[in-house]
Amino acid sequence: MTFDLNFFGMLIGAIMASSVPLILAASGELITERSGVLNLGVEGMMIVGAISGFALMVLTDNLFLAVIGSMLSGLIISSIFGFLTQTLFTNHVASGLALTIFGIGISAMIGKNFVGIPGKDFPLLLVNLRESIPFVGPILFGHSIILYVAFALPFATNYFLKRTKLGLIVRAVGDSPVSASNQGINVTLVRYSCILYGGAMCGLAGAYLSLIYTPQWIENMTAGRGWIALALVVFATWSPLKVLVGAIIFGGVTIMQLHLQAIGLTIPVQLLSALPYIMTIIVLVVISRDSRKIKLNTPTSLGQIFYKEK
Amino acid sequence: MNTKLKVSEISKIYPGCVANDKVSLEFGSGKIYALLGENGAGKSTLVKILSGVVKPDKGQVFLNNESIKLNSPLDAKKNNIGMVFQHFNLFETLSVFENLSIDSNKKNEDLRVLIDGILKKYNFKIDLDVPVLNLSAGQKQKVEIIRCLIRNPKVLIMDEPTSVLTEQETDDLFISLKQFSKDGILIIYITHKLKEVLSLCDEVAVMRKGKVVSVSKTIDEKIETLANKMVGENLNTIKKKINIFKNSEEILKISNLNFKSDDPYETNLNNLNLSLKKGECLGIAGISGNGQNELFQILSGEIITEGTSIKFRNKEIGKLNPRERREYLMAFSPEDRISQAAVPELKIYENVALNNFKSSNFFEKGLVNEKKIKEHTQKILSNFSVNTDNVELKSQFLSGGNLQKLIIGRELITSPELLVCFNPTWGLDVGAINYIHKTLININQQGKSSILISTDNDELLKLSDRVCVIYKGKLSKIMNAESVTPEKLGILMGGGSID
Repeated sequence: MTFDLNFFGMLIGAIMASSVPLILAASGELITERSGVLNLGVEGMMIVGAISGFALMVLTDNLFLAVIGSMLSGLIISSIFGFLTQTLFTNHVASGLALTIFGIGISAMIGKNFVGIPGKDFPLLLVNLRESIPFVGPILFGHSIILYVAFALPFATNYFLKRTKLGLIVRAVGDSPVSASNQGINVTLVRYSCILYGGAMCGLAGAYLSLIYTPQWIENMTAGRGWIALALVVFATWSPLKVLVGAIIFGGVTIMQLHLQAIGLTIPVQLLSALPYIMTIIVLVVISRDSRKIKLNTPTSLGQIFYKEK
Repeated sequence: MNTKLKVSEISKIYPGCVANDKVSLEFGSGKIYALLGENGAGKSTLVKILSGVVKPDKGQVFLNNESIKLNSPLDAKKNNIGMVFQHFNLFETLSVFENLSIDSNKKNEDLRVLIDGILKKYNFKIDLDVPVLNLSAGQKQKVEIIRCLIRNPKVLIMDEPTSVLTEQETDDLFISLKQFSKDGILIIYITHKLKEVLSLCDEVAVMRKGKVVSVSKTIDEKIETLANKMVGENLNTIKKKINIFKNSEEILKISNLNFKSDDPYETNLNNLNLSLKKGECLGIAGISGNGQNELFQILSGEIITEGTSIKFRNKEIGKLNPRERREYLMAFSPEDRISQAAVPELKIYENVALNNFKSSNFFEKGLVNEKKIKEHTQKILSNFSVNTDNVELKSQFLSGGNLQKLIIGRELITSPELLVCFNPTWGLDVGAINYIHKTLININQQGKSSILISTDNDELLKLSDRVCVIYKGKLSKIMNAESVTPEKLGILMGGGSID
């Protein structure tokens, strides 16, 4: 009985771990989009975060530097997008797509020399407790600090947007940049900040993959997680807590279907692999049906270019 | 304390247009000033300069004899200049309180106390915790005003505040403005409505083509004198002879039409009934957002309804799409010229080709017959006095008036039996309005029918044979235009009932 319980505990722990990059990237992108900026470069920023984190870990042998560096690199690459869309007024969609293509390319180039190098053990917290308490132990303990940060982030994001002045300003800018500007809010500054924050979170999400989840560098190792994160934001109708739910379901079904495959069910593998996508969309669509709430949460100016009158 | 505001030699030049040409004006507290002018006269530019949104090329602003710099809206706020824009600067998805708190440094609790005080003092009734998108236009305007009052303004600028209000709301607004004025706030009131100037303001400055052409006391002015100053020429007014259609044939009948929308921004329509006779103009009044959009879309076929409720020329048309309806001799002029009626990036003749009928032969074997379309377009341009003969011009470069003439011309050149138009003179200058009005009267005289959905009551009463009011998706009873006064319309528009 204890064995079974522990197995389920481990399973839940694994599900939590696999949803971390999605939570981080989607929470970052959510803030960006709430300010009215549509950055489709999530995948690109994640992969750049992944390679810079891993490269820094190899070069400096310091995990702390590697994590900070990955966030910085995500921030820097998102600043290119910010410059293009906020200063040069280019189209958000095209600039974001370009960012993803650029990110995948440059990460592959830098990553050439890092293929095949083994990763380093990332310190896990309270490993003793994980082993000594059945079921609850593997769920709550023995994770990296980043996992705890990731799970706290949607709540913090929710609090930020709903309760703080700055969050109010971000929502206002996303609702109507013209009105915000007329109220004396520096729309460009707010949007730049949100873009950079989103970039840093995507960088961190990438680092989680290359430093902790599968500690090594593989070309294109984000494997579309950036796109899933983008879709989560939309399907969760820009609500941070629903992003969390969506990310856990996606992570959960991903892990479960791997187990189902291992058991050797007669369901075609392709169908099982599609299951996480289908389930996530169904659940999010079902929990986000209230059209009134959608209206209130949707950043009205999403993707629109804002010019200040002179 | 007395406040003096002075603008001196303000100039602002946009490419191809002198918006303000050495404008100098003086204002003092305790009075309400009108800034009067047609669209494009430069009023809005001047107030944008005063509120720090736009920087002037030349000139200075003095507050209490001190020169002030207005480089941003923040500067205007710092100098206690409050501004209520014509298009509200509110955040629709945020609550009223969030809208008010966003630029305040006060603690939320203190701010609530302050706002409650203002609500009580001026007898405003607004729920602070609902999202702004739930409010009526009049309430939204009050939120804007409260936002200014929170900051103890010395100067309050109102930009065309009544364009979205009912008569009742307008009266309330005027009472409030007079109260503010008594409390020592200097009020600058921008408008092109002459009656309001006379009933509200103490002094009036008239602007034309970027220049101040006259400053005078309102007691020395009359509607006619102000109108002539504003337009710069003598206007001959048109008035329609109202027809009574007893024996005429019924051309359109809508019975028990219901429309329920899933979109919270849209209005549901309840149990609409109306009938229209040949040669008649039916006016539909109402404050915008009471279901006019939805009604127009149902008439035009943008919204398809169950086939049983709309009968036109003895045929059920509820299921026909806009093109099929046009082929069945209906014509439509939507409210939004630039995004609904025409594609701004397309050339004039291409926009004309969008109304493609099977009979028009604009397209042959899937190919565009450019020559035919251009000839057809030329005909529209000359028949409807559009002020260009270049069919290759992109539609976005036409002025509002010319674009509206093109759109109405495009619809009318095929001799439809019914024209449905929605705010056809919205934002146009007096000359273009006159032309459109004459055109609309003309089609009735030719025995064709029209439905005029408009938020401009003067226009409705001038052009319609019968009038009704739409309020919260319901139509009032249909009345003969002769028996209707603007006051009656105002009561119905605000949801009241008459007799």
